[in-house]
Amino acid sequence: MLMTGEQYIESLRKLNTRVYMFGEKIDNWVDHPMIRPSINCVKMTYDLAQDPQYADLMTVKSNLTGETINRFGHLHQSTEDLRNKVKMQRLCGQKTASCFQRCVGMDAFNAVFSTTYEVDKKYGTKYHENFVNYLKYVQENDLVVDGAMTDPKGDRGAAPHAQEDPDLFLHIKERREDGIIVRGAKCHQTGSINSHEHIIMPTQAMGEDDKDYAVSFACPSDAEGLFMVYGRQSCDTRKLEKDADVDLGNKQFGGQEALVVFDDVFIPNDKIFLCGEYDFAGMLVERFAGYHRQSYGGCKVGVGDVIIGAAALAADYNGAQKASHIKDKLIEMTHLNETLYCCGIACSAEGYPTEAGNYQIDLLLANVCKQNVTRFPYEIVRLAEDIAGGLMVTMPSEADFKSDLKVGKNGETIGDFCNKFFKASPVATTEERMRILRFLENICLGSSAVGYRTESMHGAGSPQAQRIMISRQGNIAAKKELAKAIAGIK
Amino acid sequence: MICGVKFCGGCNPRYDRGKAFEDIKKERPDIEFAIAREGEKYDFLIVIGGCTSCCASHCQYTYEQGLIKMWDREHIDKVLDKLDEVATKIDGK
Repeated sequence: MLMTGEQYIESLRKLNTRVYMFGEKIDNWVDHPMIRPSINCVKMTYDLAQDPQYADLMTVKSNLTGETINRFGHLHQSTEDLRNKVKMQRLCGQKTASCFQRCVGMDAFNAVFSTTYEVDKKYGTKYHENFVNYLKYVQENDLVVDGAMTDPKGDRGAAPHAQEDPDLFLHIKERREDGIIVRGAKCHQTGSINSHEHIIMPTQAMGEDDKDYAVSFACPSDAEGLFMVYGRQSCDTRKLEKDADVDLGNKQFGGQEALVVFDDVFIPNDKIFLCGEYDFAGMLVERFAGYHRQSYGGCKVGVGDVIIGAAALAADYNGAQKASHIKDKLIEMTHLNETLYCCGIACSAEGYPTEAGNYQIDLLLANVCKQNVTRFPYEIVRLAEDIAGGLMVTMPSEADFKSDLKVGKNGETIGDFCNKFFKASPVATTEERMRILRFLENICLGSSAVGYRTESMHGAGSPQAQRIMISRQGNIAAKKELAKAIAGIK
Repeated sequence: MICGVKFCGGCNPRYDRGKAFEDIKKERPDIEFAIAREGEKYDFLIVIGGCTSCCASHCQYTYEQGLIKMWDREHIDKVLDKLDEVATKIDGK
Protein backbone atom coordinates (compact mmCIF):
# COMPACT_ATOMS: atom_id res chain seq x y z
CA MET A 1 0.00 0.00 0.00
CA LEU A 2 1.47 3.35 -1.06
CA MET A 3 0.80 6.11 1.46
CA THR A 4 0.00 9.63 0.32
CA GLY A 5 2.08 12.50 1.68
CA GLU A 6 -0.74 13.51 4.00
CA GLN A 7 -1.11 9.97 5.29
CA TYR A 8 2.60 9.95 6.04
CA ILE A 9 2.30 13.11 8.12
CA GLU A 10 -0.65 11.66 10.02
CA SER A 11 1.23 8.40 10.60
CA LEU A 12 3.98 10.38 12.35
CA ARG A 13 1.45 11.91 14.74
CA LYS A 14 0.47 8.42 15.89
CA LEU A 15 4.01 7.64 17.03
CA ASN A 16 5.19 8.35 20.54
CA THR A 17 8.64 9.48 19.35
CA ARG A 18 10.50 11.33 22.10
CA VAL A 19 12.27 14.43 20.80
CA TYR A 20 14.32 16.96 22.76
CA MET A 21 15.56 20.35 21.59
CA PHE A 22 17.12 23.29 23.45
CA GLY A 23 16.94 21.20 26.63
CA GLU A 24 13.20 20.65 26.45
CA LYS A 25 10.86 17.90 25.33
CA ILE A 26 9.05 18.79 22.11
CA ASP A 27 5.59 17.25 22.26
CA ASN A 28 4.22 18.41 18.90
CA TRP A 29 7.40 17.90 16.90
CA VAL A 30 5.47 17.26 13.67
CA ASP A 31 4.40 20.91 13.48
CA HIS A 32 7.52 22.43 15.03
CA PRO A 33 8.79 25.18 12.67
CA MET A 34 12.39 23.95 12.91
CA ILE A 35 11.49 20.30 12.26
CA ARG A 36 8.59 20.53 9.83
CA PRO A 37 10.66 21.50 6.74
CA SER A 38 12.56 18.22 7.06
CA ILE A 39 9.29 16.30 7.36
CA ASN A 40 8.08 18.05 4.19
CA CYS A 41 11.12 16.62 2.39
CA VAL A 42 10.19 13.07 3.30
CA LYS A 43 6.57 13.85 2.42
CA MET A 44 7.81 14.73 -1.07
CA THR A 45 9.01 11.13 -1.53
CA TYR A 46 5.40 10.05 -1.01
CA ASP A 47 3.83 12.82 -3.11
CA LEU A 48 6.07 12.13 -6.11
CA ALA A 49 5.21 8.43 -5.99
CA GLN A 50 1.55 9.35 -6.50
CA ASP A 51 2.28 11.52 -9.55
CA PRO A 52 2.24 9.78 -12.97
CA GLN A 53 4.96 12.17 -14.15
CA TYR A 54 7.38 10.68 -11.61
CA ALA A 55 5.99 7.25 -10.77
CA ASP A 56 8.30 5.42 -13.19
CA LEU A 57 11.25 6.28 -10.95
CA MET A 58 9.51 6.59 -7.60
CA THR A 59 7.73 3.22 -7.64
CA VAL A 60 8.73 -0.31 -8.54
CA LYS A 61 7.40 -3.84 -8.23
CA SER A 62 8.66 -5.58 -5.10
CA ASN A 63 10.52 -8.84 -5.69
CA LEU A 64 9.28 -9.95 -2.25
CA THR A 65 5.55 -9.29 -2.54
CA GLY A 66 4.88 -8.59 -6.23
CA GLU A 67 3.16 -5.35 -5.18
CA THR A 68 3.97 -1.83 -6.34
CA ILE A 69 6.06 -0.14 -3.65
CA ASN A 70 7.97 3.08 -3.16
CA ARG A 71 11.46 2.60 -4.61
CA PHE A 72 12.93 3.73 -1.27
CA GLY A 73 11.85 0.33 0.11
CA HIS A 74 13.22 -1.74 -2.77
CA LEU A 75 15.93 -4.39 -3.08
CA HIS A 76 17.79 -3.63 -6.31
CA GLN A 77 17.20 -6.43 -8.81
CA SER A 78 19.37 -5.21 -11.69
CA THR A 79 21.82 -2.55 -12.75
CA GLU A 80 18.80 -0.72 -14.16
CA ASP A 81 17.36 -0.59 -10.65
CA LEU A 82 20.66 0.84 -9.39
CA ARG A 83 20.61 3.54 -12.08
CA ASN A 84 16.97 4.32 -11.39
CA LYS A 85 17.81 4.78 -7.74
CA VAL A 86 20.34 7.50 -8.64
CA LYS A 87 17.86 9.15 -11.01
CA MET A 88 15.17 9.10 -8.33
CA GLN A 89 17.55 10.76 -5.89
CA ARG A 90 18.40 13.47 -8.40
CA LEU A 91 14.69 14.10 -8.85
CA CYS A 92 14.06 14.33 -5.10
CA GLY A 93 17.01 16.71 -4.71
CA GLN A 94 15.59 18.92 -7.44
CA LYS A 95 12.20 19.06 -5.78
CA THR A 96 13.44 19.88 -2.26
CA ALA A 97 16.93 21.41 -2.61
CA SER A 98 17.57 19.48 0.60
CA CYS A 99 18.45 16.09 1.98
CA PHE A 100 15.23 14.07 1.77
CA GLN A 101 16.54 11.55 4.30
CA ARG A 102 15.00 8.34 3.00
CA CYS A 103 18.11 6.93 1.29
CA VAL A 104 19.79 5.68 4.45
CA GLY A 105 16.96 3.20 4.97
CA MET A 106 17.09 2.00 1.36
CA ASP A 107 20.85 1.56 1.55
CA ALA A 108 20.55 -0.30 4.86
CA PHE A 109 17.91 -2.67 3.40
CA ASN A 110 20.17 -3.68 0.55
CA ALA A 111 23.28 -4.05 2.70
CA VAL A 112 21.55 -6.02 5.48
CA PHE A 113 19.73 -8.25 2.97
CA SER A 114 22.90 -9.49 1.29
CA THR A 115 25.02 -9.64 4.46
CA THR A 116 22.51 -11.63 6.53
CA TYR A 117 22.32 -14.17 3.70
CA GLU A 118 26.05 -14.78 3.97
CA VAL A 119 26.04 -14.78 7.78
CA ASP A 120 23.34 -17.47 7.81
CA LYS A 121 25.29 -19.52 5.29
CA LYS A 122 28.31 -19.59 7.58
CA TYR A 123 26.65 -19.81 10.98
CA GLY A 124 23.24 -21.41 10.31
CA THR A 125 21.48 -18.42 11.88
CA LYS A 126 18.04 -17.11 10.84
CA TYR A 127 18.89 -13.45 10.35
CA HIS A 128 18.06 -13.37 6.65
CA GLU A 129 14.59 -14.76 7.25
CA ASN A 130 14.12 -12.22 10.06
CA PHE A 131 15.16 -9.43 7.74
CA VAL A 132 13.03 -10.51 4.77
CA ASN A 133 9.94 -10.69 7.02
CA TYR A 134 10.77 -7.27 8.41
CA LEU A 135 11.27 -5.73 4.98
CA LYS A 136 7.93 -7.15 3.79
CA TYR A 137 6.31 -5.36 6.73
CA VAL A 138 8.12 -2.12 5.79
CA GLN A 139 7.13 -2.40 2.13
CA GLU A 140 3.51 -3.31 2.83
CA ASN A 141 3.11 -0.31 5.13
CA ASP A 142 5.28 2.08 3.05
CA LEU A 143 7.37 3.05 6.06
CA VAL A 144 10.37 5.35 6.43
CA VAL A 145 13.32 3.62 8.09
CA ASP A 146 16.44 5.33 9.38
CA GLY A 147 19.56 3.31 8.61
CA ALA A 148 21.72 4.11 11.61
CA MET A 149 25.41 3.33 11.53
CA THR A 150 27.59 6.02 13.14
CA ASP A 151 28.47 5.52 16.81
CA PRO A 152 29.91 8.33 18.96
CA LYS A 153 33.21 6.34 18.84
CA GLY A 154 34.86 8.13 21.80
CA ASP A 155 38.64 7.75 21.65
CA ARG A 156 39.33 7.10 17.96
CA GLY A 157 42.55 5.33 18.88
CA ALA A 158 40.76 2.63 20.88
CA ALA A 159 38.62 -0.31 19.72
CA PRO A 160 35.00 -0.50 20.91
CA HIS A 161 35.77 -2.90 23.78
CA ALA A 162 38.75 -0.77 24.87
CA GLN A 163 36.81 2.47 25.37
CA GLU A 164 36.74 3.87 28.89
CA ASP A 165 32.97 4.24 28.58
CA PRO A 166 31.51 1.06 27.00
CA ASP A 167 28.46 2.95 25.73
CA LEU A 168 30.43 4.96 23.18
CA PHE A 169 29.74 2.16 20.73
CA LEU A 170 26.22 0.74 20.71
CA HIS A 171 26.37 -2.73 22.21
CA ILE A 172 24.50 -5.71 23.58
CA LYS A 173 24.11 -5.15 27.30
CA GLU A 174 22.21 -8.30 28.05
CA ARG A 175 21.22 -11.47 26.20
CA ARG A 176 17.82 -12.92 27.07
CA GLU A 177 15.92 -15.92 25.80
CA ASP A 178 13.44 -13.71 23.93
CA GLY A 179 15.88 -11.06 22.70
CA ILE A 180 18.61 -8.62 23.66
CA ILE A 181 18.93 -5.35 25.57
CA VAL A 182 21.02 -2.76 23.73
CA ARG A 183 22.68 0.37 25.01
CA GLY A 184 24.56 3.24 23.36
CA ALA A 185 23.80 5.85 20.73
CA LYS A 186 23.97 6.70 17.05
CA CYS A 187 25.17 10.19 16.12
CA HIS A 188 24.12 12.67 13.42
CA GLN A 189 21.27 10.48 12.28
CA THR A 190 19.71 11.94 9.16
CA GLY A 191 15.93 11.89 9.26
CA SER A 192 15.77 9.80 12.43
CA ILE A 193 12.87 11.76 13.93
CA ASN A 194 10.89 11.53 10.68
CA SER A 195 11.31 7.75 10.47
CA HIS A 196 8.79 5.17 11.61
CA GLU A 197 11.53 2.65 12.29
CA HIS A 198 15.29 2.35 12.76
CA ILE A 199 17.71 -0.24 11.44
CA ILE A 200 20.90 -0.30 13.46
CA MET A 201 24.22 -1.47 12.01
CA PRO A 202 27.73 -1.63 13.45
CA THR A 203 29.92 1.35 12.66
CA GLN A 204 33.17 -0.37 11.65
CA ALA A 205 34.93 -3.71 11.13
CA MET A 206 35.38 -5.50 14.45
CA GLY A 207 37.50 -8.18 16.15
CA GLU A 208 36.58 -10.98 18.51
CA ASP A 209 36.88 -8.74 21.58
CA ASP A 210 34.20 -6.51 20.07
CA LYS A 211 31.64 -9.31 19.78
CA ASP A 212 29.01 -7.46 21.80
CA TYR A 213 29.31 -4.47 19.50
CA ALA A 214 28.72 -6.50 16.32
CA VAL A 215 24.97 -6.05 16.38
CA SER A 216 22.29 -5.19 13.85
CA PHE A 217 18.55 -4.99 14.46
CA ALA A 218 15.35 -3.08 13.76
CA CYS A 219 13.14 -1.25 16.22
CA PRO A 220 10.33 1.29 16.11
CA SER A 221 11.38 4.93 16.51
CA ASP A 222 9.20 5.17 19.61
CA ALA A 223 10.59 2.03 21.29
CA GLU A 224 10.77 2.15 25.07
CA GLY A 225 14.15 3.63 26.09
CA LEU A 226 14.82 5.31 22.74
CA PHE A 227 14.90 9.10 22.40
CA MET A 228 16.43 11.75 20.17
CA VAL A 229 18.16 15.07 20.68
CA TYR A 230 17.76 17.43 17.71
CA GLY A 231 20.91 18.69 15.99
CA ARG A 232 21.40 22.45 15.58
CA GLN A 233 21.95 23.97 12.17
CA SER A 234 23.44 27.28 11.16
CA CYS A 235 20.81 30.07 11.34
CA ASP A 236 18.18 27.52 12.47
CA THR A 237 16.30 29.91 14.77
CA ARG A 238 15.37 32.10 11.82
CA LYS A 239 12.64 29.48 11.41
CA LEU A 240 11.22 30.53 14.78
CA GLU A 241 10.85 34.19 13.76
CA LYS A 242 7.29 35.43 13.34
CA ASP A 243 6.01 35.14 9.74
CA ALA A 244 9.48 34.17 8.51
CA ASP A 245 9.50 33.62 4.77
CA VAL A 246 12.02 35.36 2.50
CA ASP A 247 14.81 35.32 5.08
CA LEU A 248 14.63 31.52 5.29
CA GLY A 249 15.72 31.02 1.69
CA ASN A 250 13.92 27.67 1.60
CA LYS A 251 10.81 27.97 3.71
CA GLN A 252 9.29 24.65 2.76
CA PHE A 253 12.14 22.15 2.93
CA GLY A 254 15.22 21.31 4.99
CA GLY A 255 17.34 18.53 6.42
CA GLN A 256 17.51 16.99 9.85
CA GLU A 257 20.06 15.22 12.02
CA ALA A 258 19.77 14.02 15.60
CA LEU A 259 21.53 12.09 18.32
CA VAL A 260 19.60 8.85 18.83
CA VAL A 261 20.03 7.42 22.33
CA PHE A 262 19.37 3.77 23.22
CA ASP A 263 18.92 3.74 26.96
CA ASP A 264 18.51 -0.03 27.45
CA VAL A 265 16.17 -0.87 24.59
CA PHE A 266 14.72 -4.38 24.27
CA ILE A 267 14.99 -5.99 20.82
CA PRO A 268 13.00 -9.19 20.24
CA ASN A 269 14.73 -12.12 18.51
CA ASP A 270 12.80 -11.77 15.25
CA LYS A 271 14.13 -8.23 14.73
CA ILE A 272 17.81 -9.17 15.15
CA PHE A 273 19.99 -9.32 12.02
CA LEU A 274 23.46 -9.70 13.54
CA CYS A 275 24.33 -10.65 17.10
CA GLY A 276 27.98 -11.24 17.82
CA GLU A 277 29.18 -12.48 14.39
CA TYR A 278 31.94 -9.88 14.46
CA ASP A 279 33.61 -11.16 11.29
CA PHE A 280 30.63 -9.82 9.26
CA ALA A 281 30.59 -6.32 10.76
CA GLY A 282 33.10 -5.11 8.16
CA MET A 283 31.11 -6.56 5.26
CA LEU A 284 27.92 -4.85 6.41
CA VAL A 285 29.68 -1.51 6.83
CA GLU A 286 31.42 -1.75 3.46
CA ARG A 287 28.22 -2.60 1.61
CA PHE A 288 26.13 0.07 3.29
CA ALA A 289 28.85 2.66 2.73
CA GLY A 290 29.15 1.61 -0.92
CA TYR A 291 25.44 2.11 -1.56
CA HIS A 292 25.44 5.36 0.34
CA ARG A 293 28.42 6.71 -1.59
CA GLN A 294 26.51 5.90 -4.77
CA SER A 295 23.50 7.80 -3.37
CA TYR A 296 25.44 11.04 -3.24
CA GLY A 297 25.91 10.88 -7.01
CA GLY A 298 22.16 11.46 -7.25
CA CYS A 299 20.87 13.52 -4.34
CA LYS A 300 23.59 16.18 -4.32
CA VAL A 301 23.31 16.49 -8.10
CA GLY A 302 19.61 17.29 -7.78
CA VAL A 303 20.36 19.97 -5.20
CA GLY A 304 23.18 21.20 -7.45
CA ASP A 305 20.66 21.59 -10.29
CA VAL A 306 18.65 24.01 -8.12
CA ILE A 307 21.79 25.93 -7.07
CA ILE A 308 22.89 26.35 -10.69
CA GLY A 309 19.40 27.59 -11.55
CA ALA A 310 19.46 30.00 -8.61
CA ALA A 311 22.90 31.34 -9.58
CA ALA A 312 21.70 31.88 -13.17
CA LEU A 313 18.63 33.74 -11.85
CA ALA A 314 20.80 35.86 -9.56
CA ALA A 315 22.85 36.85 -12.61
CA ASP A 316 19.66 37.69 -14.51
CA TYR A 317 18.29 39.74 -11.61
CA ASN A 318 21.59 41.57 -11.18
CA GLY A 319 21.62 42.31 -14.92
CA ALA A 320 24.94 40.49 -15.30
CA GLN A 321 23.76 37.49 -17.29
CA LYS A 322 25.52 38.51 -20.50
CA ALA A 323 28.99 38.78 -18.97
CA SER A 324 31.23 36.06 -20.40
CA HIS A 325 32.74 35.16 -17.01
CA ILE A 326 29.23 34.57 -15.60
CA LYS A 327 28.41 32.23 -18.47
CA ASP A 328 31.71 30.45 -17.96
CA LYS A 329 31.06 29.99 -14.23
CA LEU A 330 27.65 28.49 -14.93
CA ILE A 331 29.30 26.12 -17.41
CA GLU A 332 31.84 25.12 -14.77
CA MET A 333 29.12 24.51 -12.17
CA THR A 334 27.24 22.34 -14.67
CA HIS A 335 30.39 20.45 -15.57
CA LEU A 336 31.10 19.69 -11.90
CA ASN A 337 27.53 18.70 -11.17
CA GLU A 338 27.19 16.39 -14.15
CA THR A 339 30.56 14.80 -13.33
CA LEU A 340 29.07 13.73 -9.99
CA TYR A 341 26.07 12.32 -11.83
CA CYS A 342 28.36 10.42 -14.20
CA CYS A 343 29.97 8.75 -11.18
CA GLY A 344 26.60 7.80 -9.68
CA ILE A 345 25.43 6.31 -12.97
CA ALA A 346 28.77 4.59 -13.66
CA CYS A 347 29.00 2.75 -10.33
CA SER A 348 25.41 1.63 -10.88
CA ALA A 349 25.93 0.47 -14.45
CA GLU A 350 28.90 -1.62 -13.29
CA GLY A 351 26.91 -3.25 -10.49
CA TYR A 352 26.76 -7.00 -9.91
CA PRO A 353 24.52 -9.52 -8.14
CA THR A 354 25.31 -10.57 -4.58
CA GLU A 355 24.95 -14.15 -3.35
CA ALA A 356 21.55 -13.19 -1.96
CA GLY A 357 20.40 -11.96 -5.38
CA ASN A 358 20.14 -8.20 -4.96
CA TYR A 359 22.53 -5.93 -6.81
CA GLN A 360 25.59 -4.24 -5.37
CA ILE A 361 27.27 -1.19 -6.90
CA ASP A 362 30.86 -1.17 -8.16
CA LEU A 363 32.76 -0.28 -4.98
CA LEU A 364 35.69 1.50 -6.60
CA LEU A 365 33.49 3.76 -8.71
CA ALA A 366 31.12 4.46 -5.79
CA ASN A 367 34.05 5.55 -3.66
CA VAL A 368 35.40 7.73 -6.46
CA CYS A 369 31.89 9.21 -6.70
CA LYS A 370 31.77 10.12 -3.03
CA GLN A 371 35.36 11.40 -3.04
CA ASN A 372 34.34 13.87 -5.75
CA VAL A 373 31.29 14.80 -3.68
CA THR A 374 33.61 15.83 -0.84
CA ARG A 375 35.01 18.50 -3.20
CA PHE A 376 32.74 19.58 -6.05
CA PRO A 377 29.78 20.94 -4.06
CA TYR A 378 32.21 23.28 -2.29
CA GLU A 379 33.38 24.62 -5.64
CA ILE A 380 29.79 24.86 -6.87
CA VAL A 381 28.73 27.00 -3.90
CA ARG A 382 31.91 29.08 -4.21
CA LEU A 383 30.97 29.90 -7.79
CA ALA A 384 27.34 30.52 -6.76
CA GLU A 385 28.54 33.03 -4.13
CA ASP A 386 30.80 34.62 -6.72
CA ILE A 387 27.91 35.10 -9.16
CA ALA A 388 25.42 36.21 -6.48
CA GLY A 389 27.57 38.99 -5.07
CA GLY A 390 28.05 40.07 -1.47
CA LEU A 391 24.47 41.20 -1.08
CA MET A 392 23.42 37.64 -0.29
CA VAL A 393 24.97 38.10 3.15
CA THR A 394 24.62 41.84 3.73
CA MET A 395 21.08 42.76 2.76
CA PRO A 396 18.60 43.89 5.39
CA SER A 397 15.93 41.60 6.73
CA GLU A 398 12.55 40.90 5.19
CA ALA A 399 11.04 42.98 8.00
CA ASP A 400 13.03 46.00 6.83
CA PHE A 401 11.90 45.58 3.24
CA LYS A 402 8.30 45.46 4.48
CA SER A 403 8.65 48.14 7.14
CA ASP A 404 6.32 51.15 7.00
CA LEU A 405 8.31 53.08 9.56
CA LYS A 406 8.73 56.60 8.18
CA VAL A 407 12.34 57.75 8.32
CA GLY A 408 12.86 59.88 5.18
CA LYS A 409 12.61 63.63 4.91
CA ASN A 410 9.78 63.20 2.43
CA GLY A 411 7.97 60.59 4.45
CA GLU A 412 9.66 57.56 2.87
CA THR A 413 9.65 54.36 4.92
CA ILE A 414 12.52 52.00 5.64
CA GLY A 415 10.82 49.65 3.17
CA ASP A 416 10.82 52.38 0.51
CA PHE A 417 14.55 52.92 0.95
CA CYS A 418 15.41 49.21 0.94
CA ASN A 419 13.32 48.53 -2.14
CA LYS A 420 14.77 51.58 -3.91
CA PHE A 421 18.41 50.82 -3.20
CA PHE A 422 18.28 47.08 -3.85
CA LYS A 423 16.38 47.16 -7.12
CA ALA A 424 18.50 45.95 -10.01
CA SER A 425 17.45 44.60 -13.40
CA PRO A 426 13.88 45.37 -14.53
CA VAL A 427 13.31 41.63 -15.11
CA ALA A 428 12.72 41.07 -11.38
CA THR A 429 11.18 42.82 -8.42
CA THR A 430 13.37 43.63 -5.43
CA GLU A 431 11.58 40.89 -3.49
CA GLU A 432 12.31 38.30 -6.19
CA ARG A 433 15.97 39.32 -6.09
CA MET A 434 15.96 39.01 -2.30
CA ARG A 435 14.35 35.59 -2.50
CA ILE A 436 16.95 34.11 -4.83
CA LEU A 437 19.85 35.63 -2.87
CA ARG A 438 18.44 34.33 0.42
CA PHE A 439 18.07 30.90 -1.17
CA LEU A 440 21.76 30.98 -2.07
CA GLU A 441 22.70 32.25 1.40
CA ASN A 442 20.76 29.38 2.98
CA ILE A 443 22.34 26.67 0.82
CA CYS A 444 25.86 28.16 0.92
CA LEU A 445 26.11 28.94 4.63
CA GLY A 446 22.70 28.73 6.28
CA SER A 447 20.74 25.76 7.58
CA SER A 448 20.77 23.96 4.20
CA ALA A 449 24.57 24.11 4.06
CA VAL A 450 24.48 21.28 6.59
CA GLY A 451 23.09 19.03 3.88
CA TYR A 452 24.89 20.39 0.85
CA ARG A 453 28.34 21.10 2.25
CA THR A 454 29.31 19.31 5.45
CA GLU A 455 27.14 16.29 4.70
CA SER A 456 28.90 16.11 1.32
CA MET A 457 32.20 16.05 3.20
CA HIS A 458 31.41 13.59 6.00
CA GLY A 459 28.14 11.83 5.17
CA ALA A 460 28.61 8.20 4.05
CA GLY A 461 32.13 8.44 5.44
CA SER A 462 34.76 11.17 5.53
CA PRO A 463 37.16 11.60 2.59
CA GLN A 464 39.86 9.38 4.07
CA ALA A 465 37.42 6.46 4.28
CA GLN A 466 36.96 6.65 0.52
CA ARG A 467 40.67 6.91 -0.08
CA ILE A 468 41.25 3.71 1.87
CA MET A 469 38.67 1.94 -0.30
CA ILE A 470 40.11 3.45 -3.49
CA SER A 471 43.52 2.17 -2.41
CA ARG A 472 42.13 -1.34 -1.81
CA GLN A 473 40.19 -1.44 -5.05
CA GLY A 474 42.61 0.45 -7.25
CA ASN A 475 44.30 -2.63 -8.75
CA ILE A 476 47.78 -1.10 -8.77
CA ALA A 477 49.46 -4.47 -9.35
CA ALA A 478 47.69 -4.92 -12.69
CA LYS A 479 48.56 -1.38 -13.65
CA LYS A 480 52.25 -2.12 -12.98
CA GLU A 481 52.02 -5.09 -15.32
CA LEU A 482 50.53 -2.86 -18.01
CA ALA A 483 53.40 -0.44 -17.66
CA LYS A 484 55.96 -3.24 -17.72
CA ALA A 485 54.48 -4.68 -20.92
CA ILE A 486 54.57 -1.33 -22.72
CA ALA A 487 58.04 -0.47 -21.44
CA GLY A 488 59.46 -3.86 -22.33
CA ILE A 489 60.21 -4.93 -18.76
CA LYS A 490 60.10 -8.68 -18.12
CA MET B 1 -9.70 5.08 -29.52
CA ILE B 2 -8.07 4.77 -26.14
CA CYS B 3 -4.49 5.91 -25.86
CA GLY B 4 -2.35 4.97 -22.86
CA VAL B 5 0.26 7.46 -21.71
CA LYS B 6 3.45 6.66 -19.84
CA PHE B 7 5.82 9.29 -18.49
CA CYS B 8 9.46 8.62 -17.71
CA GLY B 9 10.43 9.29 -14.09
CA GLY B 10 11.52 12.86 -14.81
CA CYS B 11 15.00 12.96 -13.24
CA ASN B 12 16.19 15.79 -15.45
CA PRO B 13 13.64 16.59 -18.18
CA ARG B 14 14.64 19.01 -20.92
CA TYR B 15 11.08 20.28 -21.39
CA ASP B 16 7.74 20.31 -19.54
CA ARG B 17 6.42 16.81 -20.17
CA GLY B 18 3.09 17.49 -18.48
CA LYS B 19 2.49 20.55 -20.62
CA ALA B 20 3.37 18.58 -23.77
CA PHE B 21 0.77 15.96 -22.81
CA GLU B 22 -1.85 18.66 -22.18
CA ASP B 23 -1.11 20.15 -25.61
CA ILE B 24 -1.50 16.75 -27.29
CA LYS B 25 -4.85 16.26 -25.52
CA LYS B 26 -6.03 19.68 -26.61
CA GLU B 27 -5.09 18.96 -30.23
CA ARG B 28 -6.95 15.64 -30.28
CA PRO B 29 -10.09 16.07 -28.13
CA ASP B 30 -11.78 13.03 -29.70
CA ILE B 31 -9.18 10.61 -28.43
CA GLU B 32 -9.50 9.18 -24.93
CA PHE B 33 -6.20 9.45 -23.09
CA ALA B 34 -5.42 7.62 -19.85
CA ILE B 35 -2.34 7.21 -17.69
CA ALA B 36 -1.24 3.66 -18.55
CA ARG B 37 -1.98 0.95 -15.99
CA GLU B 38 -1.09 -2.70 -15.97
CA GLY B 39 -3.99 -5.03 -16.83
CA GLU B 40 -5.79 -2.37 -18.91
CA LYS B 41 -5.98 -2.58 -22.71
CA TYR B 42 -5.07 0.37 -24.93
CA ASP B 43 -5.22 0.89 -28.66
CA PHE B 44 -1.98 2.82 -28.61
CA LEU B 45 0.69 3.95 -26.17
CA ILE B 46 2.60 7.24 -25.98
CA VAL B 47 5.82 7.18 -23.97
CA ILE B 48 6.77 10.70 -22.90
CA GLY B 49 10.45 10.87 -21.97
CA GLY B 50 12.29 13.91 -20.69
CA CYS B 51 15.56 13.36 -22.53
CA THR B 52 17.06 11.31 -25.34
CA SER B 53 17.43 8.18 -23.20
CA CYS B 54 13.60 8.02 -22.94
CA CYS B 55 14.06 5.32 -20.29
CA ALA B 56 10.44 4.90 -19.16
CA SER B 57 9.42 1.28 -18.69
CA HIS B 58 6.53 0.20 -20.93
CA CYS B 59 6.76 -3.55 -21.56
CA GLN B 60 4.23 -4.16 -18.78
CA TYR B 61 1.37 -2.51 -20.70
CA THR B 62 -1.01 -3.95 -23.30
CA TYR B 63 -1.46 -1.94 -26.50
CA GLU B 64 -2.65 -3.26 -29.84
CA GLN B 65 -1.48 -0.74 -32.42
CA GLY B 66 2.05 -0.10 -31.21
CA LEU B 67 3.61 2.84 -29.45
CA ILE B 68 5.47 6.05 -30.07
CA LYS B 69 8.21 7.56 -27.94
CA MET B 70 8.81 11.29 -27.63
CA TRP B 71 11.65 12.99 -25.78
CA ASP B 72 11.43 16.51 -27.12
CA ARG B 73 8.63 19.08 -27.36
CA GLU B 74 9.25 19.21 -31.07
CA HIS B 75 8.07 15.62 -31.37
CA ILE B 76 4.45 16.64 -30.70
CA ASP B 77 3.60 16.95 -34.40
CA LYS B 78 5.03 13.51 -35.06
CA VAL B 79 2.93 12.10 -32.21
CA LEU B 80 -0.23 13.78 -33.54
CA ASP B 81 0.40 12.36 -37.01
CA LYS B 82 0.85 8.90 -35.58
CA LEU B 83 -2.34 9.22 -33.53
CA ASP B 84 -4.25 10.18 -36.69
CA GLU B 85 -2.77 7.22 -38.54
CA VAL B 86 -3.79 4.79 -35.79
CA ALA B 87 -7.25 6.33 -35.45
CA THR B 88 -7.82 5.96 -39.20
CA LYS B 89 -6.67 2.35 -39.05
CA ILE B 90 -9.04 1.58 -36.17
CA ASP B 91 -11.96 3.35 -37.88
CA GLY B 92 -11.32 1.33 -41.04
CA LYS B 93 -11.66 -1.98 -39.22
